Amino acid sequence: MTAAALRPRARAPQWFTILWRNKKARFGMLLLLAFVLLALLAPVLAPYDPRDRSFAGGLPPSAEHWFGTTGKGYDVASQAIFGARTSLVIGLVAGAIATTISLLVGMTAGYLGGMVDEVLSFVTNLALVVPALPLMITLAAYVPGGGSEWMVIIVISITGWAGAARLKRAQILTLRNREYIQAARMAGDGTFHVIFREIAPNMTSLIVVGFIGAVGGAIGAEAGLAFLGIGNPDTISWGTMLYWANTDGALLTGAFARLVVPGLLLALLTTALTFVNFGVDALSNPHLREP
Amino acid sequence: MPLVEVRHLSVDYRSRDLPPAHAVRDVSFDLAEGEFVGLLGESGCGKSTLGNALLRLLDRPAHHAGGEVRFDGQDLYALPAKELNRLRWREIATVFQSSMNALNPVLRVERQFRDTMEAHRWDPRADGDPRERVLEVLRDVELDAERVLRSYPHELSGGMRQRVVLALALLLRPRLVVLDEPTTGLDVVVQRSIVDLLRRLQREHGFSVLFISHDLGTVLEIADRVLVMYAGQIVESRPSADLAAAPLHPYTRGLLGSFADPRDEHVSVTAVPGRPPSLDSPPAGCAFAPRCPVRVAACAAVPPVLAAPGVGARAAGGAADVGDDAGGLVRCHRLTPEGADEPTVPDAAPPFPEVMAWASGPVSGPAGSADDAGGATPLLVADGLVKTYTRRRGLRREEVHAVRGVSFALAPGRVQALVGQSGSGKSTVAKMLTGTERPTSGTVTLAGRDVTHLRGADLRAYRSQVQMVFQDPFAALNPTKSVGASVGRPLRNHLGLSGEALRERVVTLLDGVGLSPGSLYVDKLPHQLSGGQRQRVVIARAMAPRPRLLIADEPISMLDVSIRAEILELLATTVQEQDVAMLYITHDLLSARLLADDLMVMRDGAVVEQGPTVRVVREPEHAYTETLLAAVPRPPGVAAR
Repeated sequence: MTAAALRPRARAPQWFTILWRNKKARFGMLLLLAFVLLALLAPVLAPYDPRDRSFAGGLPPSAEHWFGTTGKGYDVASQAIFGARTSLVIGLVAGAIATTISLLVGMTAGYLGGMVDEVLSFVTNLALVVPALPLMITLAAYVPGGGSEWMVIIVISITGWAGAARLKRAQILTLRNREYIQAARMAGDGTFHVIFREIAPNMTSLIVVGFIGAVGGAIGAEAGLAFLGIGNPDTISWGTMLYWANTDGALLTGAFARLVVPGLLLALLTTALTFVNFGVDALSNPHLREP
Repeated sequence: MPLVEVRHLSVDYRSRDLPPAHAVRDVSFDLAEGEFVGLLGESGCGKSTLGNALLRLLDRPAHHAGGEVRFDGQDLYALPAKELNRLRWREIATVFQSSMNALNPVLRVERQFRDTMEAHRWDPRADGDPRERVLEVLRDVELDAERVLRSYPHELSGGMRQRVVLALALLLRPRLVVLDEPTTGLDVVVQRSIVDLLRRLQREHGFSVLFISHDLGTVLEIADRVLVMYAGQIVESRPSADLAAAPLHPYTRGLLGSFADPRDEHVSVTAVPGRPPSLDSPPAGCAFAPRCPVRVAACAAVPPVLAAPGVGARAAGGAADVGDDAGGLVRCHRLTPEGADEPTVPDAAPPFPEVMAWASGPVSGPAGSADDAGGATPLLVADGLVKTYTRRRGLRREEVHAVRGVSFALAPGRVQALVGQSGSGKSTVAKMLTGTERPTSGTVTLAGRDVTHLRGADLRAYRSQVQMVFQDPFAALNPTKSVGASVGRPLRNHLGLSGEALRERVVTLLDGVGLSPGSLYVDKLPHQLSGGQRQRVVIARAMAPRPRLLIADEPISMLDVSIRAEILELLATTVQEQDVAMLYITHDLLSARLLADDLMVMRDGAVVEQGPTVRVVREPEHAYTETLLAAVPRPPGVAAR
């Protein structure tokens, strides 16, 4: 005990050690790191400006154009590299907003109980049963400014929080009767402090799992909306690439790279997030840790 | 030949981050056919690990690190898994800790008996009619067999479930039963009945028992022979009557000192200061030496061997012939011819500190005689408290009378004990005093002011005067917060302290509860502290806002026996020095006798007896009080001490 306390704190924090030790999580984190680098270094890595349409349309993959060009003459590789930015940014922001809503609703409902719980649980259940994709399409299509990235973020977050809110409510129900929560109330702490300072730190891993799940969901939702042509078709994202590939009939003309590249990147990014989540599970449940 | 021979058994806990912990170290003992052996030790001493190792039930991260367990001549660690499965339950049965929850909640009890018989190939021709056997074993544990078989586990009470689990263990007529804390978590009175039942069944059927427990009184009373375990080793192995009458090892002496009969005229208990050594680097000499009041120079350097007292240090191999241990074995240098006359080292601790029954001496204790009670101005008056819960069952409403008309007064500097079984309504009374629950009727008055229906800021202000000490020191501190943060919150909220003043006050408070120097503990997290230290932090937090009333809900029931006395003493001095009133809620009459001036006994929501502690304990008037007193274990020999 004392020896551990005296040891210098130069090593990695404990949560990182546990994550890194888990092979699945390590794979996920490395893959995720690759995507983050891809997004950050896009101007360096991409061979051309993604909006440069000075090339001949529909070129097959070659040394100049790794994955060919689109029907309008954009470079597919450059678009794919820059598309990582859109996916990551929208995923992170929408994931964060959805997690925040789920935290506020789920934790308040679970902690306060009674009438507040009834009302908030009703709203949560309503949000759960409303089919998300049609709602997204309706919102994105009819709300003014529906095409902007911000609108997409808001649409994704308000349709994606409910499941996580249910989870958090269930978790807080098991935590709120712990003696240390009672002790905090005896110590004069207010409701807000008890929920977010006393209880929340004890469910960090659940919140993180929920956040990563929400990010993955948001990335998928963004791509789905873009693929359906909802949102601004001029943004550079993997979803829009798929949309244009589809409208141009890429499958018929044999330009498989235009479909495979963004599709594969999307799949890899969500895989990376899922694998990180395996490791976060191990954080909260020592039984899942690899020896 | 003994039924079980354990030879040099060692078990390590291995993990990647920490050095291996040697939970069981070179343990050797025998268990004769039909013998009832108690394995006594405090939390973390390795007793449960030893129990599991005996059944070869070690799971990661525990590893068998050497030694043998021979059951009926066969080494369990050399058997193939299939052979081992044949032995388990048929020959060696076990009841695990918290086994009340070992029944599958979605299966009827009958099905669980049938499954057990099928899994272990019950042969009706050789073993008899299966249904007859089930009825027989359930009758053995004194249950209404027909009714129980049709029930789901949740339809049975804790005590009944424990009997069912015991019946399941005995179903296949095993020759050895390992019981790991079989009565922990049960009510005192229920505990008593299970212990009596166990002893009767063991006598009738003649199986051997290894009874693992931290409960000294029960072990001494029920077992033929007691093994005392400390830091992974057996330190004393003797017939329980001998052990109770004259414990040899200083640790056993310390443990026995923490036990007393609350009905005695003069009651005192002792504590064993300090903590057991860390098991990852066992000390070079005797593991108990740092806490030992009679240690000699050799203790720190030479590990003592387990030997018959007075025989002298033998070769290490000599410890193996445990067959001739009729007089007992002990692991202590003082009991060898060479060590007996050696003077104790000068810096050895004084003998175990004694906690007197300071408040309840027969004539008058330091706290003043019981007659003063009427004279003191009461701080808090609870008058006719009633709490009725309404439960909806389908369309019907059902009323549960948790508390029915309880009245009492609490005075500054005095302790009122509230004793009763679980479910008697004692905790509901506490909740009504703290304002967590509102009484259905009745009033609570604090210093003349009605505080029954406070809300918002008034309630918060009231709570700065009424604080709680909780039962479970492991649950009462937020695992993510440092000690300083936990103790600091009430200071910040109720007294408005912050910054350096706050920190200073926290350090003073920690010093005050014996965590000194306090500055060393401020930044520690709860998991870095022992149970006793945590409970001290909980007390410091409760005392932080300078309350006038302290409600202690079973504050020592989760602590190891050797440190209970220290916490009791801390509570007693707190009440004296800070002049607070205390409501002490417990099921343990011994601690109530030691701590409380007055005692009230609760049953089914009503107070059945109330009065000065000494009077209630020594001359109980109500039959229920007598039942509670009779449930206190009375080991042979201790009384004669």
